[in-house]
Amino acid sequence: MAGVRLEHVYKRYPGSDVASVKDFNLDIKDKEFLVLVGPSGCGKSTTLRMIAGLEEITEGKLYIGDRLVNDVAPKDRDIAMVFQSYALYPHMNVYQNMAFGLKLRKFKKADIDKRVREAAKILDIEHLLDRKPKALSGGQRQRVALGRAIVREPQVFLMDEPLSNLDAKLRGQMRAEISKLAKRLETTVIYVTHDQIEAMTMGDRIVVMKDGVIQQADSPEVLYNHPINMFVAGFIGSPAMNFIKGGLYERDGSVHFKADGLDIELTEGKAAIVREKGYVNKEVILGVRPEDFHDEPVFLEASPKSIVSALAEVVENLGHEKNVYLAGLGSDTVIARLDGRSDVKEGSNIKLAIDMNKIHLFDPESELNIFEI
Amino acid sequence: MELSWRSKLESLLGAPIMTAGLPLGERESAWQDIGLKPGDRIRSGDRFRLPDGTIRLIVSADDEKVEYVDLQPGDLTGREEQLLEWLLRELDRASHAEGSRERPLNREMQRFGEWIQEQIGAGRLQAAVPDEFNAGGRLNIEWIPFLLLADHAARANDAELEKLLQTYLETDVLLVPLRDQEWLILAPDSLLYEEGGGRGDIEETPEELLESVARGMHDMLTSEWLGENHIAVAHPIMPSAAVVDTVYLLRETVALGRRFHQGDTVHLPWNIHLERLLNSIPDEQRLRFIEQAASRTDLLLEPEIVTTLETFFAMNCNVSDTAKKLFIHRNTLLYRLDKLKQDTGLDVRLFRDAVLVKIILLLYKVTKRK
Repeated sequence: MAGVRLEHVYKRYPGSDVASVKDFNLDIKDKEFLVLVGPSGCGKSTTLRMIAGLEEITEGKLYIGDRLVNDVAPKDRDIAMVFQSYALYPHMNVYQNMAFGLKLRKFKKADIDKRVREAAKILDIEHLLDRKPKALSGGQRQRVALGRAIVREPQVFLMDEPLSNLDAKLRGQMRAEISKLAKRLETTVIYVTHDQIEAMTMGDRIVVMKDGVIQQADSPEVLYNHPINMFVAGFIGSPAMNFIKGGLYERDGSVHFKADGLDIELTEGKAAIVREKGYVNKEVILGVRPEDFHDEPVFLEASPKSIVSALAEVVENLGHEKNVYLAGLGSDTVIARLDGRSDVKEGSNIKLAIDMNKIHLFDPESELNIFEI
Repeated sequence: MELSWRSKLESLLGAPIMTAGLPLGERESAWQDIGLKPGDRIRSGDRFRLPDGTIRLIVSADDEKVEYVDLQPGDLTGREEQLLEWLLRELDRASHAEGSRERPLNREMQRFGEWIQEQIGAGRLQAAVPDEFNAGGRLNIEWIPFLLLADHAARANDAELEKLLQTYLETDVLLVPLRDQEWLILAPDSLLYEEGGGRGDIEETPEELLESVARGMHDMLTSEWLGENHIAVAHPIMPSAAVVDTVYLLRETVALGRRFHQGDTVHLPWNIHLERLLNSIPDEQRLRFIEQAASRTDLLLEPEIVTTLETFFAMNCNVSDTAKKLFIHRNTLLYRLDKLKQDTGLDVRLFRDAVLVKIILLLYKVTKRK
């Protein structure tokens, strides 16, 4: 097993003025499960393909372990790839599919057999070893594709949206299985997805990318609770963080955020930060996660300085929780995620308190999180 | 491991290597642009100044095609241009020397490849294979033809590739080197039959079987060989009578596939009928069609709309299946389609408009970069 290091890596396609990946610096630790996430076109797949050797690196250095591999062919990089559009070898049965890479590398028959059977056991496909791919379901094929990678015992696994061809239920199952598998094999995994739920649930560390640039690389908890900018704040979390444009002002020694329909007081700690950074009497953007709105009487009583009133336009009852679409807080619709026992009614005016310890404030020009810079 | 010097050159110059002379109607204009007539002698390293000032640097040239890079004046100093000219000539010389030294066992296949290229160059697509290449009548039986094009991968060794393919297919194959990094692979048609005889799964069409074999081969070559590659496959042929025509078809298939479906790596001739037709329409008419067909065509360039529409068409215009495939709510998809209708006047849920939008999307792929 080995870590992977990218140093000032750029990818520029011939004829294009804009780099698809820009100054990518990342040190992926041995045995780490790293997820690259971002919207389509952000450069995450290009980065993975450069690590795989399927795209040449225009500039910069790529190390797998201590070996510089910029000019090393994919087959010699000691990596295994599982991609979205994987294709099993149709004329071979499952056993042969998994054994093929080892056979090419001149492994002894007994070693091949041992590795294939061990991988099949891990993936629970021992009973399928004699079957041809066309006789397998989508989930079973996916397991075989994983098995083909596992038997090679590579230094690094590269996975590019490997679950996106599966239905929602199977995706959930496989998500958990891949996580378990990575821990059991104690191997380095670099996993690309556009799905932030996959990213949050699987990654030891997540790299959020946009326009070929790393926005933030950190643990799921840090990304969620301390997003560095509006892009990360809006990308991680579902429903997404609410953004409300407004301004900060000071009254009676307290700092308030004011926008259409709300005037709330910042906690002392957050007030000290905005004072120190000179944001009082300036425009800012408030960021509130949907679950940081509360309608429980106890919370409302305890938080008189952060109570807002709004019109509940739509209430989506999900059973254990309710997503309430609110009008009257700033110019855009705001979503609050309330407890399933809340008796909020569609079309009613409701009072909610914001958990002021968890709010974020962003600079409208740089879009950076004022509390994190 | 030597990575393709072509890709390195593209990166260093910041400009793509273009090819003229593919059977796509580009050859004459490319020659005329640099003031030459088809057949004029040009060689690697030659430089020409085009009427608009662009410098066209010839990367390689043979009887069939010319590869070139267009550079803007000032991109390179005079000394850099001279250095490039010398380098390209040396590379050309080295590759010829290497070609004559390599693969002694495959000399017959190499000559066979050269013969195929000559016939294509001369437009003799129906030419019958001479007996000298048909020892034992092996080309008189049916083979599955694949065209393999190594993309930006390392310089491949024919013998290594042949061995890899034989291990993979567990049978003999004929590997015919064509152009640089391009091979015709002839594999036995028994691949399409189950062990013990008879067509395997009666629910799978021959096209589906051929596609799965090609996709498997592509994946195997990607991970076990030198990286990214493009593969086209056609129905089984008897090479003695149809090899030239088939290579021409497969080359056209790869060229059209790469042009219209960037990102695809397995190309199938039976899937690109519409693309072939659209490619034959002159640029001017394509542009006029796009302008007239929809009121706001810029919307059709937005990545989200393009992905939505391509998935919608791939799912046979089924709203529920498309929403599932895109991981979005059905209502979100309907909202997008309604917005498209409102802005362009085209409702892709109607057959007539769906056809129009499909054609516009395809045409955009070949006209938007102009």
